[in-house]
Amino acid sequence: MTEPRTSALSKRVLDEYAAVRDTLPAGVVSAERRQEAIQSVAAHGLPSSREENWRYSNLRPLERARFAPAGEPLAAGVSPAPGAAAVAGAAATTRSLPSPSELPAKLERFARYTFVDGVFAPELSSPTQGQAGLTVHSLRRATQGAGGRSVSKTVFQLPRTLPALRHLPEARLALLNEAFATDTAAIHVEDAAGEPVRVEVLFIAIAGAETGTSYPRVQVSLDPGSRLIMVERHIGASGGASFINSSVTVDVGRGAHLTHYRLQQAGARATWLDTLSAVLAADARYGLLTVNIGGLSARSTTHVQMAGPGAELTLSVAALGDRQQVQDNFALVEHIAPRARTEQTFRGITSGRARVGFNGKIVVRKAAAGTDSRQSLRGLLAGPEAEIDVRPQLEIYTDDVRCSHGATAGKLDDDMLFYLLSRGLSPEVAQRLLKWAFLEDVVSKIQLPELRRQIEHDLAGQMADAASLKELL
Amino acid sequence: MLKIDNLHVKVDGKEILKGLTLDVPTGEVHAVMGPNGSGKSTLANVLAGRPGYEITAGSVTYQGRDLLALAPEERAREGVFLGFQYPVEIPGVNNVYLLKAAVNAARKHRGLEEVDAFEFLTLVKEKMRLMRMEESMLTRGVNEGFSGGEKKRNEVLQMLVLEPRLTILDETDSGLDIDALKIVANGVNTLRSPERSLVLVTHYQRLLDYIVPDHVHVLVKGRIARSGDKSLALELERRGYDWVTGEAA
Repeated sequence: MTEPRTSALSKRVLDEYAAVRDTLPAGVVSAERRQEAIQSVAAHGLPSSREENWRYSNLRPLERARFAPAGEPLAAGVSPAPGAAAVAGAAATTRSLPSPSELPAKLERFARYTFVDGVFAPELSSPTQGQAGLTVHSLRRATQGAGGRSVSKTVFQLPRTLPALRHLPEARLALLNEAFATDTAAIHVEDAAGEPVRVEVLFIAIAGAETGTSYPRVQVSLDPGSRLIMVERHIGASGGASFINSSVTVDVGRGAHLTHYRLQQAGARATWLDTLSAVLAADARYGLLTVNIGGLSARSTTHVQMAGPGAELTLSVAALGDRQQVQDNFALVEHIAPRARTEQTFRGITSGRARVGFNGKIVVRKAAAGTDSRQSLRGLLAGPEAEIDVRPQLEIYTDDVRCSHGATAGKLDDDMLFYLLSRGLSPEVAQRLLKWAFLEDVVSKIQLPELRRQIEHDLAGQMADAASLKELL
Repeated sequence: MLKIDNLHVKVDGKEILKGLTLDVPTGEVHAVMGPNGSGKSTLANVLAGRPGYEITAGSVTYQGRDLLALAPEERAREGVFLGFQYPVEIPGVNNVYLLKAAVNAARKHRGLEEVDAFEFLTLVKEKMRLMRMEESMLTRGVNEGFSGGEKKRNEVLQMLVLEPRLTILDETDSGLDIDALKIVANGVNTLRSPERSLVLVTHYQRLLDYIVPDHVHVLVKGRIARSGDKSLALELERRGYDWVTGEAA
């Protein structure tokens, strides 16, 4: 089955892995697990756009990618010391850390953990003490020189998501991340009464693709009954051409609540790949809201397993594509246990020559009686050369389910546009206003006013039609 | 204010207006009446610049300028206002934002500074009281979930806030009960002045009991078939449109 081109790529992945494996931190992922992962990738090959669930992705950058980790940038103002940037065999560079003022404003009452090119950057982090029940570790740092013994055992528990992840053909990129991982933000919440704990993980990609890949990695687990609000943000140097392959695993225990905001704002020329895999126990609640703005070629894979009865998932995605961007999203929700509920909302806008895709698949297994799932997927074409693909899929293996879906893809409403023009608004303002209104179904779900303002600001910036167009051409 | 001369307009290749001529001097209120399909809404939409109308002959002059050469938003900024027959709902764009954006677009066009937010809100609330509208409507999406009557009142509210020189109301009376009709008429009447002109497009005479026109025109098959004073509307009410369409045929 494997075609020559793919196998050549697989071979290169193996070679690159072999060259750097001894430098990869075993405290982050053990050598055995890395080996397993890389073999699995080699056996199955990397995804190709000939595959059904990848057909809207732009995977060409994979062919040119350097898979070895980009490595650690230097602290600002520090001159390169021998071996300082040599983690994972990356070429020595003069990359330096951004100053804290260049980062997005810190959210009040949130602990912030910042990772640069996939490696924890304590200088740019501000862990908040005193959030009861919350433990956050950089696995790389926590295990350095201690052989892993200094970190509490819970951090190393293999999240239950991982076995599921390994069996999903869409998770091959996450396996690649596992093989090359340079660090992990390991977040654990113990049962704690009162206010939910709050964490922001901020990933910054600085290295260019020629230096290597950036591997953001997050592992979240919530004990039964615990509550966490997590903000996961990915940013890049403006115009940066990084190659990013992110992996997030989420384990929401019985009756626990996780509110998870994700903002993908990679650099304008970056390749962005990400895999999120989550498992929900009984009566767990998971609110996942993703805003995809950045990158030139972006592909986001989400896999959520409704493993416990009565689990609830709200999955909301807003994606904006402009210029030559490709924003592809695949979201698979698997109902295994009975009486779980899913609400999926997608709003995507394309303009310029961009392509945005959302493939929302819901599978209801035999034991999942009483499943209630709703999908509302809408795409807006805001330019004659733009493309949008919105696709709901349902696979149901039991009776007694309520599944509804609505999917539309269309242009800006002419009547709405004319109404605004007839009130004196310029066509540019009118269009922007209507695009804005279109995203409202997702944006209005952001419960944190401060974050909502930031995201609205970022969305507005993205829509302020292409001041940076020249920079790209 | 407005001079329409021998206007011919096609929609989807079919001629709807066939040589319409109409003169609306400054300070006057003109009613354009007519049976269904006579071209009333086409006239209103052409004046506001809605796309999809092909002007094959004739001219429209507004304050001495070629109105048809202006984009819809330019017409609005120059003081032309269309009250829609079917105001569209725009969820996600709130009413007060639209009002402010509209006022500021016109002010910018005239070289004025943006309106003061507080003063503006005070003004809008005052006009809303006149239109008997709940203040909570301000923060709702434009016409979102509004009843037919509320939408029409919202159109008149926008008109009151924008203070246009030329207003065209396209069947603003349709779908209104008598109380709402009085509120709408009262709102429109407050804007009557020697500097402003108004074109009321309507099917029924009823509205004209409350907004008394200076002239009444009957549109039949794309042309003005008859013009007169307000008594023409009453005669139409009594004798029906057949009376004029029969003559025009």
